[in-house]
Parts: sequence; structure tokens; C-alpha cells
Amino acid sequence: MISLKTVRTQPVAEERARVVYDVASGEAGGKLMVTRGTGRRVREALAEALEGLSSGGVLYVDTRGVELMDYSFADEALGILVSRAAAGEYGEKGVVLVEGDRELLENIEASLRQRGLAMIRVDEPGASPQLVGEVPEHLVETLQTIQDAGSITNADLAAKLGLNHTACNNRATRLFKLGLIHRHKNTAAPGGRQYSYEGIS
Amino acid sequence: MSGVLTLGSLEPAFEAVGRIEGEMVVLDLRSVEFVEPAGLCGLAALLEFLTPRASIVGVRLAGYNVPAYLERMNFFRIFGHRIETNVDVTALEERRRGNPGTLQELVNFHSEEEIPGIINRVSVILENKEYRLRERAAICATLSEVCANAVEHGASSFGAYAAVQAYQHIVSGRHGSSRGERRGEEVLIAIADGGVGVRETLSRNPEYAEFTKTDSDALRHALKMGVSGTGEIGRGGGLAVVGQISARAGGSLSLRSGSGRITFYGDRTNSRNVPPFPGAFVRVSLPRKAEG
Repeated sequence: MISLKTVRTQPVAEERARVVYDVASGEAGGKLMVTRGTGRRVREALAEALEGLSSGGVLYVDTRGVELMDYSFADEALGILVSRAAAGEYGEKGVVLVEGDRELLENIEASLRQRGLAMIRVDEPGASPQLVGEVPEHLVETLQTIQDAGSITNADLAAKLGLNHTACNNRATRLFKLGLIHRHKNTAAPGGRQYSYEGIS
Repeated sequence: MSGVLTLGSLEPAFEAVGRIEGEMVVLDLRSVEFVEPAGLCGLAALLEFLTPRASIVGVRLAGYNVPAYLERMNFFRIFGHRIETNVDVTALEERRRGNPGTLQELVNFHSEEEIPGIINRVSVILENKEYRLRERAAICATLSEVCANAVEHGASSFGAYAAVQAYQHIVSGRHGSSRGERRGEEVLIAIADGGVGVRETLSRNPEYAEFTKTDSDALRHALKMGVSGTGEIGRGGGLAVVGQISARAGGSLSLRSGSGRITFYGDRTNSRNVPPFPGAFVRVSLPRKAEG
């Protein structure tokens, strides 16, 4: 017999829709990504892919085939996209960068920092998540804990971080709104609803 | 005029442009022995300012190397019909040979849509020359950013000019020619536009009033991350990134606009007042690091 407590503390990660957009081979993309105009066209293609995803889905923006990008492209294609996603323009969907740790990241990093935003980066879809951009210091530990757990309830997260439930919920909600984690309600939780959080990778 | 044609060596001519009212003007460049991209773009911008004001513009050159270089860099193709010169251009055209260090001949462009084509060509040349990917990325990202700035903020009747040249020796002064340290390789990028200039562009943003009192103040401010005329978040990062790229390579980024001129080396910025330059001018030096 499985107790309700066990179910609550180890929520099962949801099956999520995943779409990979390969920037280098995309119609709007290529290997040399420069200028805001090019960035705008790639962003429009990415936004279309995001809009086609079901709620809770993840769009993987794969830039591994891109040889170089300039700051203007990075800001227009990814900075603005992440900014709009964080503002809730595409609903509850995640945007993840698929890219290795190389110099090309600097322009994306610079754009996101400039905007006070961040996005998850993975070496390949499903690999361990890294951060690109800027996340307030106090949220980094919260994000790391959620990522390490894979999926965790607010109560368990609060216990791990030594926070009260409200403070913990506020931090996780901020991360959710930045598009860095998934969040869902545990309606079966006794004593009222409770959020669970899930890392994106 | 010294033997090297740079933007600085054209200063007296820029200073005199405003006084020209329909006379014939002769640019005496006979003492020039070496032309770098900054001099070439500066000369192109100067001629754009001069030709509408003068009845005839003459360009005097001496020797073979400088006229031949200008021909290979497409100077006569662009300006040949607008100037009078003592050079037998036809003879140069017949002997035209590729210049192994040329990454981009003098190119005139007016819109952002033209930039990816320029970057593609430069990237192919760099790839054929076996430049490493990170070097190609640094050169191309630098060129695209400054070109984009030129067409976005420097809209003018003549658009903008760019030229890029690789050298098998260090050209820029910082590397201490006085000490004889000229070994190594260097890529020089130059862009000139005829727009309103950096100070006026930044002055459109009222937040920058205290940073735009002089042209040099405006240029220093323009190098900071996030500083742009529109103030939109995310804008104004390109030049800051170019500054970081050039500093990391051990090179420099020089900006000139109005009566200001600054050179950014990463750990320090030099500035001085110079005779007015209409529009904006950018020169980037990217030394190549040794393999390994």
C-alpha cells in the first residue's frame, strides 16, 4: 500500500511536449547569425514553435550548428523571446538553450544579463541544466535544489531550504515566472492544494 | 602628411571641408606610403563630404604601391568617376592582383540587410586562410556590430563605408613601434558613416544629459553596456561587446565622432579632442594570438 504522504513527497514528473528548433538549419537561420533583422526572423519562427506547443511544453533552441552570432542577433532572437516568455506571453511553456560551453554563449549571456533574465542551457536535450544570464543570488540555491530533486513539493522544498512555506513558494513562483522551472498543483494533497516544482532540462 | 594614411592624417582636410564653396580642391597624398583601412574609409568619407561642395576634387598619388593598393581595394571603382587623379587607373586594372591580406575591400552599404552578405564573404575568406573558429567569430561579430551601428545611427546620403585588412605584422601603435615590437599578426577593421554622430544620437535620450556635454563624454558613455539613444532594454550592448572582444585579443577599439576621439584598450581609455569629424568613425584592432 502506498501512503498519501509518499505520493505527495515524490510527485511524478509530467510528460511534457518537447520540440527542438535547430537554428542553423531553420529557414530563418543559418551558421552565421548576425544583425537584429536576422534575429527578428529567427525569433518569429521560435515564437511560432512555442505557440504550437501545448501548455507545459518545452522548446529547445538548438544553436550548436551556429558558428557565430553577434550581440544584436542574440538580443533580438533570444533576449526578447525569453523576455516575452517571462512576461507570460506564450503561456506556461519553457525555453531551453541547447548549446555547449563556448564563446558564442557570451552574447546570449550579455543580452540576458542586460535584461535581468536567465534561461536554462543544456549540452543536449535531457542533459543536466546550466544557467545562462542572471538570476538573483537568493534564487540560485532554490533553483539548484529543485533541479537536483527533479520534482519536489513546496513543503519538501521549504524543509530543504529551511524556509517557511510562503517564502519558499514566493521564491519558486519567481523562478517559474522566469521560465526556469515547471510548476503544477497537487490537487490530491490533503489539507488543501499544494504546488510541486520540476526542473527543466 | 606622414607616410601612413590614417584618419588622423586626414584631419586638416576634414577641418577645411566646411569652408569649401564650389572651388576646385586637390588632395595631395603623394607622401603616403602605406594605407590602412582606417585611412581608406576616412578618405572615402572625406570625398563624400567634399565632392558635393567642390567643383572638382583632385587626388594626387605617387609611386606604384599606394595606387595599386587603392585599386585592389576598389577605391577607384567607387570614386574613379567622381575625382580627377594623376593615376593611370587602366594600367592598374590590367595588373590587378588579389591582395592576400584583404578580408574586405572598401564597401559602401546603406542598410542592415546588406550586412549578412558582407559577413558571409569575410567569414569564407577567413576560413580559407585557416583562421580558427573563435578568431572568425571575433572578427565577424565585431564587423557586423559596427556595421549595424553605422546604418542604424549613421543614416546619411552616402550610407557607410567599411574595409578590413589582415597584416602579417602589428600595425597599431600600442604594440610599441618605438621599441621595435612589430612582430605578430593583426586584423584591422574600419567603418565610417556620415550620420548625425554619437553625441547627438545619445542626446535623444534625456537620461544621458550629463554624459553628452562633450563629444568625448558621449563616446566614453557609448562604450558602456546598455547605453543607447532609444534607452530600450537590450539595446546598446553591441559596442560594449566589441570593446571586450578587442581588449581580450590585446587590441583596441577607437571611436571618433564630432570633436571627440577615444581609444579603449580594456584596462584604460585614452581620449583627446580632435578637429570635427562629421558622422561617426570606428576602428578596431584585433591582433592574432599565437597558436596554442
